[in-house]
Amino acid sequence: MKHLTDEQLIEHYLGECSNRVVVETHLRICGRCEQIYEEISNAMEVRTPKPAARERGYGEQVWQSIQGELLPYPPKPKRSYFSWPRLALAGACLLGIAAAFIGGSRWERLRTHPSQAANPAQERQRVVLVILDDHLDRSERLLVQLNHAGGERGELDDSLQAEARQLLPDNRLYRQSISAGGDPIMTAALDHLERVLLEIANTPEKLSSADIARIEQEMNTDSLLFQIRVLRARTSRREPTVDSRLKGASI
Amino acid sequence: MGQKILPNRTGILRSNTRMGKNDHALIRAVLSGDKNAYGALVARHGESMFQVAYRITESEADAEEIVQETFLRGYRSLAEFNGRADFRTWIYRIAVNCALKVLNRRNSEAAVPIAEEFDDERPAIQLADKGAGPERLLLDREIEVRRQVAMEKMTPDERLAFVLRHLEGRSIEEIAAALEITPNSAKQAVFRAVQKMRRSLAPLWVKS
Repeated sequence: MKHLTDEQLIEHYLGECSNRVVVETHLRICGRCEQIYEEISNAMEVRTPKPAARERGYGEQVWQSIQGELLPYPPKPKRSYFSWPRLALAGACLLGIAAAFIGGSRWERLRTHPSQAANPAQERQRVVLVILDDHLDRSERLLVQLNHAGGERGELDDSLQAEARQLLPDNRLYRQSISAGGDPIMTAALDHLERVLLEIANTPEKLSSADIARIEQEMNTDSLLFQIRVLRARTSRREPTVDSRLKGASI
Repeated sequence: MGQKILPNRTGILRSNTRMGKNDHALIRAVLSGDKNAYGALVARHGESMFQVAYRITESEADAEEIVQETFLRGYRSLAEFNGRADFRTWIYRIAVNCALKVLNRRNSEAAVPIAEEFDDERPAIQLADKGAGPERLLLDREIEVRRQVAMEKMTPDERLAFVLRHLEGRSIEEIAAALEITPNSAKQAVFRAVQKMRRSLAPLWVKS
């Protein structure tokens, strides 16, 4: 029979044995190992004599006996949150943040709207062109209707006259504005258009095909229609140029 | 934290506020210059350190010396104390080291020969049953003598490992850390110590 080693028995006593069941089984059948285990147990049962009880406040007495030998730790410097260097640093940080904010917002404005910032006149012109294009569009449709109506018989409905009356005051304003801006071709075309609109609007009775034929002939509306188409093409070309510049700049 | 508590007329700190503070708060106070805060720590842990020191040395005088040395060393190294650790565990390790030093010194001096016979100067036996007869008293005395002989035959490492494992209930890893040896060496030290104790006492069990 293979006996247990002393180390195994000591481990078993200390509760550190990994195979407890094997050891216990062996101890039941092996008298020699059982005797050694008993000796170990008996030896371990013997306790160290206890010291005489310390009197109350023993720890405080110890402190009294050693405190004379101890030097206090140097107090840690208190953190002052309002010292001048800290304040200066905080001020510099605030100034930096403010400068960055202002600079950033200005730069962003310039970057997003360069045309507005650079030249307000250009922006104004862009608005004028958009409105003028709309006006020329409506005028062109009126002249096309007028040309078509010239081939019909009898009285025509008064929608042409109503439209001419609406366009007339706008046209006058545009003509005056463009004239002041120094665009003689556009001014001449709007002047011609104004006279045609005036003729249509001021016809005393309902517009007949004969009236239209007369107007077409006297006022050369075909030529005017051509002129307006050319001018529309010109304003349309100029307008996207401005738009595309704006779009390109805002990206 | 900043509240300074002056010692009373006996110089003993009795402030409820201070006593109610946890160890870490007291350590912070000490490191901020309040030396007396350490007094509360000594008062709190002094007795338990004495018990440990006595179990290891079995001498009240040595245990007293170890306690003083422990707290002195503790104070001087307090700046190195890791705030996340437990102060009791930390000071306990210092106490064990101081005890080991005392055992080594005692061992090297070897002024007193190992006594095989009973010595009246040794501490009184606690095992004796007051109601026991003279034979039992005699046996108890002999047990104590043999126990002391076994303890003195142990090397300082073995003695410390034996006390920490058997009487203090420390794990092998803790013993290894305290003795600064490997866990296997600590285990072997415990085995050797138990063997010495068993062999010293074995004749008595046969007799009884």
